[in-house]
Amino acid sequence: MVCRVARAARSVTLVSLFVVLAPGLALAHQQTGVSGGLISGFLHPVLGPDHVIAMVAVGLWGAQLGRPAIWILPITFPFIMASGGMMGVAGIPLPSIEVGIALSAVVLGIMVAGSVRPPLWVAMAIVGAFAIFHGHAHGTELPNAADPLAYGIGFVIATGLLHMSGIVVGLAIARPLGIRAVQACGVLIVVLGGHFLVDAVGTAA
Amino acid sequence: MIHERRVAVVAGGLIALVPGIAHAHAVTTRYGDVVSGMLHPLTALEHAVPLLALGLLAGLQPPAGARLVITLVPLGLLSGMVLALLFPAIDVMVAVNRWSFIALGLLVALGRCLPDELLAAFGIVFSLSHGYENGLAMTPDMSGLRFGLGVALAGSAGVVLVAAATLPVVRRAGGLRIAVRASGSWIAAVGLMIIVV
Repeated sequence: MVCRVARAARSVTLVSLFVVLAPGLALAHQQTGVSGGLISGFLHPVLGPDHVIAMVAVGLWGAQLGRPAIWILPITFPFIMASGGMMGVAGIPLPSIEVGIALSAVVLGIMVAGSVRPPLWVAMAIVGAFAIFHGHAHGTELPNAADPLAYGIGFVIATGLLHMSGIVVGLAIARPLGIRAVQACGVLIVVLGGHFLVDAVGTAA
Repeated sequence: MIHERRVAVVAGGLIALVPGIAHAHAVTTRYGDVVSGMLHPLTALEHAVPLLALGLLAGLQPPAGARLVITLVPLGLLSGMVLALLFPAIDVMVAVNRWSFIALGLLVALGRCLPDELLAAFGIVFSLSHGYENGLAMTPDMSGLRFGLGVALAGSAGVVLVAAATLPVVRRAGGLRIAVRASGSWIAAVGLMIIVV
């Protein structure tokens, strides 16, 4: 009983300490657009279903390929994507961006569905080429954001978390049923990507 | 102990969701120039993120390397503040700060142990450049000594805490080490884009 009371007292003290240290919205002069920039950057990839399925596919494929791809892909992808983002920020045009993004979902979905295991450099080249399209789409919006730095941080974090989601789901391949389930996810991504591709080609035409 | 940790995590999560207002300037905080100085590097993403990267880089090094970085950061921040007071128009410092995202992020992503000379150079250059830009934020009514002390205290504490949290994580092979390196890649990616803006 005494032990419980002491534990409860410690918990209350701990919570009180947290409350005292509670942070708030920072309003330093140049930082007024941080929350807006961060949220809009975070939501840009998350609210685009074509981005979502392609990023999750990267994670799924990484998990299927195993080491070292499982850690090389999430480390290198953001940097290559940022190169595309830089082109978008600089206003360098990239043809058929929406087609490229939809195509990335189809191709990556095929890789996942078929458990394709190319050499690492080929996998890197495929993922890297499509990363430029995704980065360009996000980067184009960056200069107009309330806070470009916060926007960039938001969309990079969102992209990384989508990869992680794919990797976590992809780790199901440790079980026999999981292998089929991950491949089924690949098929679903191909179907959805195909839909977006037809849509994007129709719009481009 | 486990119960307390759960309480701490839940309380931390709930409190992080509480909106509020924190004013980073002496005029509005009334807590003095030291607190204003402490808040400045921590509430500005352009300083907080590279300092985070510096902490991660220190944490990826052997303990001697980590200690070297931790020692140089307050010196660099204070020197930068003094430099800002003496020569307030060194434009290249802003560019150095932007490049610090890329350089420090890439070094973290690579996850390699660096020679002490190189570590010392990165530690002193980037803490000096960030100290300089923090120094420029001072208004004439502020005490330079107190504001500088606040910046150096908060910046150094941030680097020390991140390095201390990273050190045990990277000793274990596996997911957490990869997560640290991936965060470096994210920081470099952000830097690559803001360099063009």
